[in-house]
Amino acid sequence: MKKLFISILLPFVLLACSPNLDMLGMFYGQSPRNDERFEASMLYNEEHGYPVIVFDRDEYRVSFASDFHVDTSTNNLQRWIDLTLMDTLCPVGIMLGDLVNAQGNFPRAAAPFPSKEEEEANHTRFFLTPGNHDLYFGQWNEWLGCFFTSVYYFEVHTPHAKDLYICLDSSDGTLGVKQMNWLKSLLSQKSEEGFRHTVVYTHTHMFMQDGRQGHTSNFPMEETYELTALLEQYGVDWYVSGHAHCQSVTSYKGVKYFITNSMQDPAGQPAYLYATVAEQLQYEYIELPK
Amino acid sequence: MQPQKQSHNHLLHKTISRFLTLCALLGTALNARAAETVEQHAPIVLKTCVEYAYNYTYGHYGNLDFIAAIPLNRYCDMGVGVQASTANIYSAMANVCPKFPVRVGEFFVDTRFIYRAVVRSTTHDLSAMVSLGYRMDYISLQFGALARMMDDMNREWQSEDKIMVEPVNLLYAIEVFVRPQSSRWNLSFRMANFNDFRTERMWQPMFMINTHCLVADHWRMLAGVELKPTGMFHLDASFYEAMARVGFAYEF
Repeated sequence: MKKLFISILLPFVLLACSPNLDMLGMFYGQSPRNDERFEASMLYNEEHGYPVIVFDRDEYRVSFASDFHVDTSTNNLQRWIDLTLMDTLCPVGIMLGDLVNAQGNFPRAAAPFPSKEEEEANHTRFFLTPGNHDLYFGQWNEWLGCFFTSVYYFEVHTPHAKDLYICLDSSDGTLGVKQMNWLKSLLSQKSEEGFRHTVVYTHTHMFMQDGRQGHTSNFPMEETYELTALLEQYGVDWYVSGHAHCQSVTSYKGVKYFITNSMQDPAGQPAYLYATVAEQLQYEYIELPK
Repeated sequence: MQPQKQSHNHLLHKTISRFLTLCALLGTALNARAAETVEQHAPIVLKTCVEYAYNYTYGHYGNLDFIAAIPLNRYCDMGVGVQASTANIYSAMANVCPKFPVRVGEFFVDTRFIYRAVVRSTTHDLSAMVSLGYRMDYISLQFGALARMMDDMNREWQSEDKIMVEPVNLLYAIEVFVRPQSSRWNLSFRMANFNDFRTERMWQPMFMINTHCLVADHWRMLAGVELKPTGMFHLDASFYEAMARVGFAYEF
């Protein structure tokens, strides 16, 4: 019995010694809970407002990439940022979470992102949402130090239209009470303002449709029902997420649900989602050139 | 962004009337079966429970459950049940469970369907499960597969929307008892990704403590608590839901 107990316990002890594995966070996260993170984000938002990006054409592009899991290198991250900056029709780059893999990597992972002045000079802004790996080891304060907020929205105004982008913090696997109420009231309020398209993006994917998505957690079922109904009710066009390290597009209740690939160094098939936003929303997955 | 007009009242009335019809049919069937099995001295168990729960999505809510466990013969049980929730969710379940007694304990195959009419979110959810289990006095283990289909109650059939199918999920239940199962009272600790009326994906376990006690001839008190965290294993795990349950069972 003693031997059995030791042989069951030993792998866990060895895994717990790995600096890349937050064993405790898998069972109870060490970062502040979702309501607390929401409040910290709202404090920042109230002080700095919600960004409005003005673009001089009705058609533009948005680049979505996810799961860089930065450890020792930032090759794919740097290339994605460079490609986004080079595209003059792409005013927005969105990173869908899991920027870092483990603790101590935020300085390295944040370095490739352009400064505010560089963003203005390039007419491109980058937006991020946290993933579970970004919050493991209680790294919320490091996230906040680099990226300031995890729940926000921004608008893109073109000569004849405006589009709404909403960022949710789902790295716990739940939005929590306050964020869900904020989302409901935001969608209700914004539904009166005549947006052309509404896109919601976050880290956690909504469904578990096949084996590729089977290794990652989702929202509890109650929250899945509630969120899918809410997105449908307010005519949200797209829900874009990462987390599952695979490519998937599905349509449910009038909303398109996307999962984007992992862009980790080195990933088998690093790819990002390129959206063309015009009267119609179009998309293609683009493999990162070798 | 135009909010969709949905006839929630109509939908609600339709669901409630179907629910009541199902209850009536269930009552009639049970009555007939009870009369038959009492003569054979086989126990039919009727259970009813009230539940109070809190979660991040619905806030505070309550459930009312009715479950009938009906032994078809020595080697096969079946169960049926219905649940109504103040969160505006109506559920029904049915299971058939062939048993294979061995020298110590017994193996069983649990085939189970759970349907949930999530009226508040205009969603149908149907889960189909099959699992192989083994139980003895102090432990019960069950592993199998779970498939789920979700669909919009207001689905437009000509749209490109899909019925959401999640074909394969691991199903599991591990339960440890402090006393032999035939005891007058018992206490158990259970980790599973399903209960009588709900299923979760494989990474979303529910932790339960259940107890029961025979308080008089035929009457058994039931109580339990349930905790559902979210994001375990692959997200930054957090509390999501807690539930308390009390009820009684009548054994024919």
